[in-house]
Amino acid sequence: MLIHEVLVVGGGLAGLMAALVASQKADVAVLSKIYPTRSHSGAAQGGFNAALGEDDSVEAHIFDTVKGSDYLGDQDAIEVLCSEGPEVILELERMGVPWTRTPEGRVAQRSLGGAGFPRACFAADFSGHVVLHTLFEQVLRRGIKIYPEWHLVELLVEDGQVAGVLAYDLARARLEVIRSKAVILATGGYGRAFAKTTNAHANTGDGMAIAYRAGAVLSDMEFVQFHPTTLYGTNILISEAARGEGGYLRNYDGERFMVHYAPQKMELAPRDVVSRAIFKEIKEGRGFEGQYVHLDLTHLGEALVAERLPQVRDLAIRYAGVDPARAPMPIEPAQHYSMGGVRTDVWGMTSLTGLLAAGEVANVSVHGANRLGGNSLLETVVFGRRAGHRAAQLARQEPWPTLSAATITRAYESWSSLLAGRGQGVQEDSTFAIRQEMTNLMTNQVGVFRVGSELEDAVNRLAKLKERYQRLKAPGGMQPFNYALMDYLEVGYLLDLCEVIARGALRRTESRGAHYRLDYPQRDDQNWLCHTFVRRGEDGPEFSNGPVKITRYAPQERGY
Amino acid sequence: MNVVLNICRFNPEVDVKPYFQEFTVLVEEHNTVLDALLQAWQQDPGLSFRRSCRSAICGSCALCINGRPGLACQTLIRNAITEGGRITLEPLPHFRQLKDLVVDLDPFFESLKAVVPWVVIRDNHDGRMAPEVARKLESPATCILCGVCHAAMDDPGEVKPAALVKGLRLALDPRDVLGAARLQLMKVPRDILRLFIKNLPEKCPKGITVPEDVCHV
Repeated sequence: MLIHEVLVVGGGLAGLMAALVASQKADVAVLSKIYPTRSHSGAAQGGFNAALGEDDSVEAHIFDTVKGSDYLGDQDAIEVLCSEGPEVILELERMGVPWTRTPEGRVAQRSLGGAGFPRACFAADFSGHVVLHTLFEQVLRRGIKIYPEWHLVELLVEDGQVAGVLAYDLARARLEVIRSKAVILATGGYGRAFAKTTNAHANTGDGMAIAYRAGAVLSDMEFVQFHPTTLYGTNILISEAARGEGGYLRNYDGERFMVHYAPQKMELAPRDVVSRAIFKEIKEGRGFEGQYVHLDLTHLGEALVAERLPQVRDLAIRYAGVDPARAPMPIEPAQHYSMGGVRTDVWGMTSLTGLLAAGEVANVSVHGANRLGGNSLLETVVFGRRAGHRAAQLARQEPWPTLSAATITRAYESWSSLLAGRGQGVQEDSTFAIRQEMTNLMTNQVGVFRVGSELEDAVNRLAKLKERYQRLKAPGGMQPFNYALMDYLEVGYLLDLCEVIARGALRRTESRGAHYRLDYPQRDDQNWLCHTFVRRGEDGPEFSNGPVKITRYAPQERGY
Repeated sequence: MNVVLNICRFNPEVDVKPYFQEFTVLVEEHNTVLDALLQAWQQDPGLSFRRSCRSAICGSCALCINGRPGLACQTLIRNAITEGGRITLEPLPHFRQLKDLVVDLDPFFESLKAVVPWVVIRDNHDGRMAPEVARKLESPATCILCGVCHAAMDDPGEVKPAALVKGLRLALDPRDVLGAARLQLMKVPRDILRLFIKNLPEKCPKGITVPEDVCHV
């Protein structure tokens, strides 16, 4: 058994920030299924929102975020996010983040969607990458113990209190119990539930699903963000910064079609609005080959593209064969971000004692029904910091929670039975086949436009996929670097989450933010100005509604 | 098109030494070597290789493609294919092979520590930095720690390339107290350092350039 007062699961921005803060007062370790610098935070391009500008204000940032969330964000949490933004950016600056600078030497800021001011602090279009690596440097500085390529298997819960985890070391093919006073989940999202996603292969919702299985409450899972601009075919992310720097969206006729959907904000309307607009253009025959539209940067000039969007340029050249300084890029929307997650308070505390969560895995909720560009990176550092602080406090004040041999034995036994195979295996079925059907189903039927009949069908088909999954035999055994075994577990996590997403989407009979129902196209504040809570029951997910915290801004019509 | 992947296999639990196994996969010219590898994995789920972002920013899928270190996700089939439609994939040289294409990364990450790999902040730093100075940090800060430079060196020996890039990036940072002293810390003669900087863009999958004037700091 290993012992750490605070165990952080996940080595991306939220996890490393939490570990750094907690390490000032407690013994901390980071467990991560890939080396921390491989985390998907590093793929974030656009920037970190913070109201630093002289004309900008925290108040304006709060309002933009509330409106962007389609009034589903909790306004107390949004206030925390926006008011702590400026100080956390300066803290990162002192850690050594190589921000892009203004002529006066201040941290430069650019415009992203749904914002009233250029508010996103950036480093060219490597914003997530440089902050991830800077935090990693600080983790090395503080000598924080890292368990790289260790997978979380199970949360060890005793009387509603998390007392540690069962983890699997992929390289040594070994299980370990890690006893902790506080476990912080920072495992990111579940993008790989969808066939079309910008997310990395690692983004399989492990932490979210494992928390759900352990009894934690998830919330607002039906709200899934689809990024408007991903490269057609590969769905590799083309940052919103491309539009923030002045890029245009054009249909087959060359028209900047956003004029019909968001005449004021145009290309910089929030992502839900732009993604729907693109699909509508394509559906009505104004796309290219009936599949995609164009993101045009050619009018910006090669110098600006090279200076501000070097990564976007490289990606487009390599993966689409197009130099965006010279020709428009073919783009289509794809899954990008999970607004929902493990329900937390503003200190990262979940419904289970001793379990905290921060970043994309969590739902605090600052994004409500739709997240604004630049707010997720901010969320990782603001709420990672808070979770780290609270976890250290728990480590200082609370006694060690009970962790009985029975609980540990139960966890080991459930792993063994998993490996032995609940099913005997079906010759012609495989994790690959189930994954493919699941991801296509989610993209086609639980995507940007949803309708009751298709959601119902999706729920039924997901249940059948789950039955098939139960009959699979775990591939291989406990051998070093058995990625197939991990893949098998990950598909299991994703199936649990897909069920919650699809059923939540079917249940919510309104359209709000990223959740758009063709059969209920209006927002319905009378019945649905509420969070969706879900807890795992004996016969599957049990849903309930919870109040939204509205402090200053009453819901209004949301136009851009 | 059909492509034959010739993959170096090794399972320390059963094999005496590495051997090659061929997989025939159906891919398009514009697909990546990673796409091909993912297909081979479907044929043999026991095949081990690292991958994550598939957009050349995480550094997981570094391996040796036809004898040349690179990223699988960044290498297009049309650029990798050799005579007879073959592509040979091996683990990164200068790293210990743990299983198939997976190598031991711990010594690599450990090697970073030799250069004090963090900004030691000046007490009087006021939060400002001239944009032309910030520009110089940009390229070296895009290092993804993939290990390709280390694998591509003829003899990495005492010189740990990724650590050098980190050290040089920090030496250029006006916020850092150590600054020029970092060059002493690296214990690499200036002429070797100049040669390293000169050759780096060609060896690095991110094409990292370090301003040569860092040697005059």
